[in-house]
Order: sequence, then C-alpha cells, then structure tokens
Amino acid sequence: MKLYDYELSGNCFKIRLFLNILGIEYESQTVDFYPGLEHKSPEFLQLNPLGQLPVIEDEGKVLRDAQAILTYLAVKYDASGLWYPVSDPGRLGEVAQWLAFADGITGTASAARLHDGLFYELDVEAARAGAHRLFRILDEHLWFAERVGRDWLVPGDHPTIADIACFPYVALSEEGGIYRQGYPAIRRWCDRVKRIQGFVGMSGIFTTSHAA
Amino acid sequence: MTTDLTTWHPIASSTDLPMRHIYHGQLWGREMAVWRADDGHVNVWENRCLHRGVRLTVGLNEGRELRCLYHGWRYANRTAGCTYIPAHPADAPARTICNNTYSAVESHGLVWSAVDPIGEFEAPAVLNGNDVLALRPIPVKAAPDIALKHAKSYRFSPIGEGCADVTLVEETDNHVQLHAKQDQSKATLLLFVQPVDAGRSILRGVLTDQPADAGNILRHHNRRMQALRDVIEAEATMLPVPEPIEVQFSKVDEELAKMPARAKSGPKAELRVSVAHKWDASEGVAGFRLEALNGQLPTFQPGAHIDLHMPNGMSRQYSLTNAPGETDFYRIGVKREPDSRGGSECMHNAVQAGDVLAISAPRNNFPLRRDALKTILVAGGIGITPMLAMAQTLHVQGLGYELHYFAQSEAHLSFPDVLKTFGSNLIPHIGLDPASTGGALKELLSGYDYAHHLYICGPGPMLEATRKIAAEAGWPEDAVHFEYFKNTKEIDDSSTFEVALARSALTLQVPAGRTILEILQENGIEAPSSCEQGACGTCLTTVIEGEPDHQDVYLSDSEKASNQKIITCVSRAKSKRLVLDI
Repeated sequence: MKLYDYELSGNCFKIRLFLNILGIEYESQTVDFYPGLEHKSPEFLQLNPLGQLPVIEDEGKVLRDAQAILTYLAVKYDASGLWYPVSDPGRLGEVAQWLAFADGITGTASAARLHDGLFYELDVEAARAGAHRLFRILDEHLWFAERVGRDWLVPGDHPTIADIACFPYVALSEEGGIYRQGYPAIRRWCDRVKRIQGFVGMSGIFTTSHAA
Repeated sequence: MTTDLTTWHPIASSTDLPMRHIYHGQLWGREMAVWRADDGHVNVWENRCLHRGVRLTVGLNEGRELRCLYHGWRYANRTAGCTYIPAHPADAPARTICNNTYSAVESHGLVWSAVDPIGEFEAPAVLNGNDVLALRPIPVKAAPDIALKHAKSYRFSPIGEGCADVTLVEETDNHVQLHAKQDQSKATLLLFVQPVDAGRSILRGVLTDQPADAGNILRHHNRRMQALRDVIEAEATMLPVPEPIEVQFSKVDEELAKMPARAKSGPKAELRVSVAHKWDASEGVAGFRLEALNGQLPTFQPGAHIDLHMPNGMSRQYSLTNAPGETDFYRIGVKREPDSRGGSECMHNAVQAGDVLAISAPRNNFPLRRDALKTILVAGGIGITPMLAMAQTLHVQGLGYELHYFAQSEAHLSFPDVLKTFGSNLIPHIGLDPASTGGALKELLSGYDYAHHLYICGPGPMLEATRKIAAEAGWPEDAVHFEYFKNTKEIDDSSTFEVALARSALTLQVPAGRTILEILQENGIEAPSSCEQGACGTCLTTVIEGEPDHQDVYLSDSEKASNQKIITCVSRAKSKRLVLDI
C-alpha cells in the first residue's frame, strides 16, 4: 500500500493513525504540499483531480478522500468489523453522520490552522466561529454519552472510524487559534482516543498518560 | 460581579475529573490545572510548570505525580513539590521547587476553589445533606456580571417540560437560588456564574435534589441554559470586549533549579506530627504513620529521610517508606536495637498512637535515578525502609527492577502489605549466614550491563561486602549507591588543625576531641547536620584546599580520593590546614 502523504496534514494523519492501529505496513510517498504545492501539479491531478491529500494506492486501486479511505481500510482489513459496523444499520448510519461532521471540522478548524500555520488567505474569523459551533455540538454529544458510560462518538464499547475521522483536526485546533478549554468533554475524549492500542502522534498531537 | 478574589467558586464538576486526566480550569483570569490523583485527591495548581512556564494541562497525569510534557519534571500529588528532574537524574530536587497551588475542595458534585480565600470553604447551606445533581456546565462568552444579571431570569421546569412558576429565592455575588413549582412538582436550583476571565464565564447549575428522571432533566436544563447563554452572548456582543485580566506571575528563581537552599545549623525539628497509627511491621520492627498536625507535609522523594526528635531528647534518622503520591502522611519503620542507646527503645516503648513528635522536613541524600535500564535494590534487615519507597516508585512507573531483601526469617520481612505489591520483583533471601549471603550477592550482581544501577542499604558489614562484590563484578562506582544507617568505624579525633572558611573569611582552630562541625556551629556559622556520625551526608562540604582525613561512610572511595568533599561531623585534616567553601 502506498500513501501519498504530507507530515503536517491532519487528514493524512488520520490514515497513518488507522493503518498503525490495524498494523498494516505501508509506503509513505511524501508530497510537497507546502511550499511546493505539489498536490496541484499536473502529475498529482491525474491521481486526484480535486488536488487534495491523502490518496492511497492499494493493489492497483487509487482512492482519494480521508473518510473514504478510512471506510475502505476498515471493511477490507479489519476482520473484527468493530471499526465500521456494516451489519448494524443504526450504528453504521451514525458513523456516516460523524464522517460528514469530520468534513465540517476540516472546512473550519483545519482551514483556520492553514491560515495561521501555512499563510492561506481565507476568512479566519469565520472559520474559527464555524469550528466553535461544531465543537459545541461535539462537546454536548460527548458529555451526554459519558453520562451513560459511553466513551465514543457512536454507541458501542469500541471506537469506530468516526472517532478517527473527527479526532485529528480537533486535536490540532489550537494551532488555528481555536482553544478547547471550554470543551471539557472533548478534552476527555481526546485522552481516550490517545489510549487506543496502536495510537501514534504527530507534530502538535502529544501522547497522554496510561490509564489507571 | 466585582472582582473578589476571596470568594469560593465552583470551577469544575466532579465528573470533569476522571482518573488520569488534567482538566483545564480558570478563575478570574488564573488558569488552573485540575487533576485527580489515583487516591481520589483533587489538585488545583497554577497552570504553568515553574521550570519553563509550559501549561501543565498539556502534561501527563500519571496518577501519583503530574509530569510536565516539556522537560519531564515531575510534581507530587497534594504538595506540588518537584520529585524528579530527568536532566539531573542522580540528584534530589530541592524541596523549594514547588508549583504554585490554589485551594481546592470537592463537595456536592463540584470542585470549589478561590484565588485568595479568607477562611475555610463553606457550601451554601441549602446544599448540605442533600443528594444533589450537578448540571452540564455551559461556557458563555460574556462578562460575569452580565451573565449573573441574566441568571435571575432563567426559567425551567421541575419535570422537564411545560411552564412552571419560578421564583428568585436568593441572590448572592456569584449565584442565584431559584425555586420552580409546577402542579405538585417542585425543584430548587442554584445557578452559579463562574468568573473565568473579564469576558468569559461558565454557568454551573446544581439541583438540590436528584430528580426521578435525571437524564431527561439534564437535557431539559442543557437546552434552557444554552438558550440563556445565547441571550447573554447577544447582549455581550453589543458591548466592547473587555481586556483579559492580567495575571502577575511570580518569577522563577534562577537558582531554584540548581541548588538546594542552605539549611540552618544542626538537626531540624521544624514540623510537628502526630502518631496516627503504630503497629508491628514485622518481628522487632514497629511501623509508625505520622500525620501533620495542620497543613501539608513537605514533598519527599524516594530515598529521603527525616530527623525524628523523641520525647527523651534524642534525635534519630528514619527513611520514609511512602509510595509516590502518598503525600498525606509519612510512614517509617523502627527496629528495636538490642544495644539501643535509647532511641529505638523510646520509639518502641514510650511513643504511642496520638503522641505528638517533632520532625525535620525530609532530606534526600540517597536519590533514585529513574533513567536506569535496570535497577537492583539490595536491602538487609531494616535497610528495607528506603528501598520500599524506591521499589514503589519504580513499580508504579513500570521501570525494570529487582528488590533483594535479606532477612533473618519470614517473620522479619517488614511491611508485608507493601511487599506483596511487588509480585515477582521481590526476591527474599531468608536466614542466610554471611558466607551464603556473599554467594547470593555474587550471583545477583554477576550481570552488570550499561545503565544498570545498584542501591544498597543495610548493616555496615553487609554493605561493605556488597560494595566489594559489586566492584569485583565490574560495577562502576557511579552505578553503586548506598546508605549506611550508622558509622561503626572508630573515629580518630586526635589531630589538631586549622580550617579557613573561604566565603566567611574566617579561620578557626579545631583541637583534638572536637569536630569541624562543632567548631563551625560554635562560631555562628550555619552548618546543617543530621546524624552527626558520618553516615547521612547532610553536612557535606566542598574542600578548596588541603587534604581531608576521611572517617565517614557516606562518600564513595573515589570521592574520598578526590579530596574535594568532606563530611564535617567526623572527618578531619591530614594537612595542617583545610580551606572550605563556606
């Protein structure tokens, strides 16, 4: 498997994280996202006409979009079926709902980070306000989940790819000036994600202590 | 809401603090790292590592200690004192290295704090004795006084739907008490406004009674309080955004991290403790649990000891056996010595539970490295006491170690309840004579490798034998750490010499029969000491010039050979004159 990868990308990190959790060997092909804009080069546009990372190549198949890749990897490589519950329509629907939510986080929290970190020209105040709107919803959801003993976004004892999809740009939000102090349930969920067996970090996402 | 730093405010819900998490709180602009230790104690600390100012909320709650993510400094539960500095693995951090803390009380499902409280915390009377329910807190981007003004108009239903009569029962400077009545149902709510910063607040509600359908009621309040938040924020956006409160930080003393403060002369008795519990820790060993009469006991590190002053006027040194994070008491073990000079006899016979004793703050002349690839602990008899603290530290941190415990019989194994937590890391050696002890030591010390460290505490002859065997087995001197209980060497105090004190610009004569330490103290020079028999290392002093006549058991052979240090309570001079860095 080959991952078209950029070290500082939260969307590429989603894939690296999930591959590591599943214990899948892969080759990382670095794309000069910044400052080289290699993802907008004619060669890369052949792979992904949207000009976005990540992209994977697996046994001849080329696939773009972080959420799509997570879905593909889960169904193909997770024999337990725990990460993507295909046989449970209710939970599967909720996973899809949070995958779409993850896109919203990318459009806001990740955009603010691109503005602050990589000098993208965009309306950063609007991006931050949008992220705060989503974080309020996420924190509320997680607070009430904790009340009934649930650790993850989707009901069940095991995390799903919804957690993997939503985690990175939440955990990196402070690099875009979006502080998480007002979201205590999100902060606790981040600790839990970091304790998933096989978790790896990236620049800006640090480890946490072991569970008691 | 006026800025009153003395008022207690709820700053978190109890449910915000699961094990091994650090909650990010704030009150009047002061950021707080709030964490629950494994023993349940809630710590509220200033949210900056005193070393380089990094937020502790990005650090690691390791259950007993909080570790800063930047340089790995560790701070103890309760005391916030530094217990370990990875860049100085062989040194004991000075006791003065301590993070700033805030008052903390956990009560009624909430954690309460105040920046600068006057007096003890008192919960609002209406909460006392009730089974309360803390609601989901709602952060609001608005000044606390605007939030408090609107809190009065909060409307809710005791059954979670429909219209209730809501009356304002009481209004204080940080909360309102509201009573709702709807048909036969009623509920009382305290709605607090936590002043986070000049322009930020948190609404924290507490119902005085658990409702029948808590899940539904929590959702009801969550909706209503978010609606209230939107009203408050709508008003706040019309007003200029207030400047955040400027917080003054005390500057970190440059010397703090480098040098322990110089202690005053003589053995110390700065703390008063009560004997909370006395018990038989094993055959001939009494265990004592000492608790502070008031306030907080100072931070200790594994290997530390205290001076204990007995009712008969004697003072003795005892190692602390506590695990990391056990910061609300000190536990020591005292062996009954058949040839007691009065110390152990007094502790065994005279001192009882409930008695008050004077002790010194802990001192650590036997620090434990936490960067070894493997640590071998060797204890003989009562020498187990510092090893208990060390083994518990290594154990909870998951570092590789073996604890070899040489004892006369099974019944002589002290503190069995602690020992059993070590599992297969504990290797008892029971009833061995000196020859077989030597054999056992040879075997366990045979596998020296890079970054292995050996710690020994026990009777003098066993210590000498262990050090000799370790040296023969290839252990370098700096990997072998030891602590003698006492110096059994015959002290030759027949020499006469002169000591020059470089910093004090003073020259003193030391006659035969007197020690350097005595002469220093007699002349008003501050010279800390503890055991005063050349075992504990407290009076260690730097030699600038001259050749010491070493008579202690504290310094290693190479330290002695270098002639750069002297233990002033027993050692003397071979040269006519010593120049000391005092």
